[in-house]
Amino acid sequence: MAKRKQITDNSSSGLKPKKQKKDVILQPVVQSDAPVERQTKWKNKQRVLVFSSRGISFRTRHLMNDLRTMMPHSKAEPKMDRKDKLFIINEICEMKNCNKCLYFEGKKKQDVYLWASNVPKGPSAKFLVENIHTMSELKLTGNCLKGSRPLLSFDKAFNSEPHWMLLKELFVQIFGTPNHHPKSQPFIDHVFSFSIQDNRIWFRNYQILAEDGSLAEIGPRFVLNPIRIFASSFGGATLYQNPYYVSPNEFRRTLRQQKADKYNQRQEAKVSQELRRPEITYNMDPTDEVFNTITESDFKK
Amino acid sequence: MNMFDESNSEDEDIQEALAVGKIKPGLIIEEQKKNFINNKAGLKDKIKEFSLDKFKWIERFDLANEPAPLVGFNDQENSQLENDDFNRELKFYRQAQATVLEGLAILRKLSIPTRRPDDYFAEMAKSDEHMKKVRAKLLEKKISMEKSEKAKKLREMRKYGKKVQKENMLKRQKEKKEMLDSVKKFRKGQIDRLDLFDETIERQPKNSEPAKGKQQFKPNKRREYKNKRFGFGGQKKRSKYNTADSAADMGDFSAKRAHGKGPGKRNIKHKGQGTRPGKSKRKNLKNRNK
Repeated sequence: MAKRKQITDNSSSGLKPKKQKKDVILQPVVQSDAPVERQTKWKNKQRVLVFSSRGISFRTRHLMNDLRTMMPHSKAEPKMDRKDKLFIINEICEMKNCNKCLYFEGKKKQDVYLWASNVPKGPSAKFLVENIHTMSELKLTGNCLKGSRPLLSFDKAFNSEPHWMLLKELFVQIFGTPNHHPKSQPFIDHVFSFSIQDNRIWFRNYQILAEDGSLAEIGPRFVLNPIRIFASSFGGATLYQNPYYVSPNEFRRTLRQQKADKYNQRQEAKVSQELRRPEITYNMDPTDEVFNTITESDFKK
Repeated sequence: MNMFDESNSEDEDIQEALAVGKIKPGLIIEEQKKNFINNKAGLKDKIKEFSLDKFKWIERFDLANEPAPLVGFNDQENSQLENDDFNRELKFYRQAQATVLEGLAILRKLSIPTRRPDDYFAEMAKSDEHMKKVRAKLLEKKISMEKSEKAKKLREMRKYGKKVQKENMLKRQKEKKEMLDSVKKFRKGQIDRLDLFDETIERQPKNSEPAKGKQQFKPNKRREYKNKRFGFGGQKKRSKYNTADSAADMGDFSAKRAHGKGPGKRNIKHKGQGTRPGKSKRKNLKNRNK
């Protein structure tokens, strides 16, 4: 115990003099012979349970596995039955010794929802996941160390509204790999970027190719459409409700409705045309034709 | 009376509501808008409750950035971004870029290594096999692009070649026509010089004096004689008067032909269709018939 304390003391005391010197520029590359400084103890103890319900598509499963590879502080769990109540997840997390949770919920074999939760006390948020691209897509050319710590890049808009601020804090705690996590690598070679566009959160993962800021996308990429934010984990009072959210069922319904409307409108148009058609187009005086003599040309007609 | 009062007051209520804008004219009752919960105070409390702000930045690693400035591009407007995949992705990329630039600078200040050494081997997020596939795909794409580019170029070249060929043909035809024309003109004598196959042929002047266009055409002999005899051009008046010279000229006289002996008389005899008899003879003939 005493030893460990010493180590931490060393690191902190080692930092201080360097701080005093201004603009210490270390060489960006370290020799591989030199043992990488590792701490056995880490402060920010986040453990994330990443798992899903039954009935998710293969794409969602791949996405989930990608997240597990990107997050060394994650833990896995078999798929949960759909019949089970959500608050059971709290107990599962407790059993797994996790304090954060990412739970994928598949519905109707096409819609994917994601729960992100801070486990015992909350808050938790539910998202609709759209536009999923997994890491195995060949157009995403980047690569990074498994378990290296990502920089977390947030849009400035995350500081504008309380619900965005809350989501930002939640993402920092869930997606950020704890410093000195034993499974992590001591180098920084990728960035998780969260951007707000169109009232949705767009997730991207980039590899840092060079120090000058050239990037290559690693994947996965997905879009989170927030639905609700709850005060406690997997339930509790609603703190925020997204007014722009349209459930996929409703969306599909409107699409179908539009299609159906097309036919109905055409029929209605026909009927109304009939109704509006005048019986007499022009008022003729029958006496006008009295003096008309019938000629040969009339017969020809 | 009481009843009437009630309905009257109701009407007034409605009129007031209409004036304020609570009700709109018509029978359609507007669907009441859903009340969306946005408990800002609660959200802020919750953030305070569970946030890990007490940790240093090195534990959190979060940065909020505007997209990095673009070099060589115009900054697109946000309204355009929503439907433009490329620009949207570019915005995300730039945001991450800004974070990287800022974050790496901070890390350097904290003297924390960021880049791994080249001989540092560890498990990667994507397997080597997968990366091989990625590279193959990239290569394939590049090759196909090159191929299509080449084909495009070839097509263009072929088009250009055809055009040039056509032009050449027209030019050759024109040259040939010109040459034939000039040869024809030369033969007709309208021009004196002819450039033919790098050789210049010049017309040899027939006379010592330079030939003029007018003298090229000579009248025939008969005309020449007539001209000589009767004159051509000049004053015709008084030209036929006898002069001392003309009277003395005996050039035309020939003893053989003189006094109707020569062939010249014969000519006269043959003239006309039968000679007319003299007057007395004609008279006698007349009387005989009577």
